[in-house]
Parts: sequence; C-alpha cells; structure tokens
Amino acid sequence: MHITAARHVGDILSVPAENGKELLQRLLASEVKGELLTLFHRNPGLVDTMDGVARRIGRSRPEVEADVKDFLDMGLLKSIQAGKMSLVSFNVEKDKEVQASLAEYLRRAVK
Amino acid sequence: MTVRSDRLRTGIAEFDSMLFGGFMRNDAVLLAGSAGTGKSTLGMHYLMQGAAEGEAGIYLTFEELPDHLYRDAENFGWDLRKLEGEGKLRVLCTSPDVLVESEGLQAILEGPIKQMNARRIVVDSLSHFNMFIEPEDLRLQVYRNVMFFKAKNLSSILIWESPQISGQSFAVSDEGVSFLTDAIVLLKLIEIDSALKRGIVIMKMRGSQHDHRLREYEITPTGIKVHGAFVDYQGLMGGSPTKSSSERFAEFFGKAAKGKSR
Repeated sequence: MHITAARHVGDILSVPAENGKELLQRLLASEVKGELLTLFHRNPGLVDTMDGVARRIGRSRPEVEADVKDFLDMGLLKSIQAGKMSLVSFNVEKDKEVQASLAEYLRRAVK
Repeated sequence: MTVRSDRLRTGIAEFDSMLFGGFMRNDAVLLAGSAGTGKSTLGMHYLMQGAAEGEAGIYLTFEELPDHLYRDAENFGWDLRKLEGEGKLRVLCTSPDVLVESEGLQAILEGPIKQMNARRIVVDSLSHFNMFIEPEDLRLQVYRNVMFFKAKNLSSILIWESPQISGQSFAVSDEGVSFLTDAIVLLKLIEIDSALKRGIVIMKMRGSQHDHRLREYEITPTGIKVHGAFVDYQGLMGGSPTKSSSERFAEFFGKAAKGKSR
C-alpha cells in the first residue's frame, strides 16, 4: 500500500486571513466540489475509486475528475494505491486545518 | 446449556445463548437473509458489543453509505461517530471491485486494523461481488477474504443477501460460499396466519454445540430480541408451515369443548 503525500497549498493555508477568500472560492468553485465536500464530510470512511466517488454523487468520472484532482492537490483528499487501482479517501487532518483557516478568515471578516 | 466464557458475544442475550456463549474467536460467520431481516442490525450489535468489551471493530459497507448507517444506528441508540472518535469502531465504505483487486483488502483495511488493533469485522455484503466477478470466481474471492481476516486475527461476520428462501431444498448460496465459513446463521421471514414473522436459526457452527431450533425474533427500538422456538408449527424452513399434530389436536379439542358448553 502506498499513501501518496499530496501537494499541499501551504501558501493558502498558512496565511489564513489574507487568503481565506481565495481558499473559500477554491473550495466552492463548482457544484461538483460542493457535492464532493458534502459526500466526504458525511462519509469520512469512504475509500473509493474515482468512478466509485463519481457514482456516489450521481455523476460520471469525467464530471468529477478535475475537482477530485484539485482536492488531491490541496491535500483534502489522499491518494491510496491498491495494486493497479488508485483510490481516494478523505484527509481528516487536512480538513481540520482548512476549517480552522476558514474560521479564522470569517472571524476577521466579521470584525 | 453450557455458556462458554471465551466466546465473542453479540450482545443479543438469547442469541448468545443459542451460540453457547457467542461466536468462536477468529471464525468467519456467514449471516444470510433476505431484505428486511435485520442482517446489518445484527452485524452492528456484534460490533457494538465488541466495542463495549474493548474489542475494536470495522464495518465495511459497499452499497450503503456510512451516513445512512450512522442514522439507522442512532434509531437503536448507538452513536457510531462517538465510537469512531474513541477509536473503537471504523465505518469504511468502498466499491466491491476494490476488494477484487489483489492488493485491495490490504490497502483498505491494513491501516484501520493497526490503528485500532481491530478484532472484529462485518462485511456488508458479499453478494455485491456478484456484480464484478463471474459466479465461478466468487468462491475464490470469498476464500481470499476469509483467509485475510483470519491472518489478521479478525473474527468476521460476512453478510449474504439471499432471496427469500423457501421450498424443500435449502441452500444459503449457490456459489458454494457456505462451505468456506465456520458458521452459518440464517434470518428468515415466515408467514404464519397471514402475519409476517421473523425466524433465526444457526445452520452450522464448526467445533461447537449450538441451538438447532428455529427461534422467533423481532427488531425492537433497542435492537434485536430473540424469543422462543416456533414449537407449534412444522415445515417453516420449507416455506409451508402447518400446525403440528399436538397443536391441531388442542385446537380441535378446544373447539369441541366450546361446542359442548353451548
């Protein structure tokens, strides 16, 4: 089993207040991204192929591929290799970081 | 009835008593039944009991998403998310074809098994393999799974969605899966006097005594409750229940006595 350390967008996450808006826009850049976030938040134990993930939100692989890849780049999703098969799963730790960044951004925005 | 203390209890007291204390450690148990018989609920009982006794468990689901399981479990008063937070349970969801891949089992389960020192697993359900592999390959696939679980010291419940079983001959599955498991438990819907009842029977339990009777059970707001055997009926497994001769005699005698008193 190989867990690939995904490329993180550390520059966004490490400067929360200034880049919070950018982070928020990136997270919710498409309807599919919103659906993916909902799916993985509700089902953190989901470990599936790209096709499987697409199927579970009633979409096809081409519809979700780019957004899944972007979440992999952000580190919100992890890639797991099972033989010839590539699987994706939720990175709960990274999600906590993202949520903390967003909370900080919103807190400052409200001030 | 001797109750063995080294068994894995399910938390359903009367069912554990049918098993002489519980399932045997490291055994693979085939839990078969048609839709609506409570297979997933029984599997959940098994994991909840494990968590209560300090044995972490994994619920591996193919079709049903974990959030549905969380919701259903809540109806029985079980907080799965809390148990996951405490490292006593992990609900995993994947596509069956992932497990068909040679390294799929390892990729999905190795981490959670090590992190929690998991000792129990429920797979819901083996029947989903049918969508991805030929029937003749199913037996090999199940064998591989069973051996993986045993190698990892996991005691498993493997759920099998079977059609409503009736007729004279009885087979849990046509693919020979039942030969690969150490125990078989069947959940069955039974029509008696125009009412649908549920029956549970242990078909096989390698190396152990067990209750051979078909017992009635119900799914209550707190989970499964097992009651007594269907003593007044015959032919329940065949799908054509008839009242036993003693019951017919009692019925006849009762009617006759009623007629006389009029």
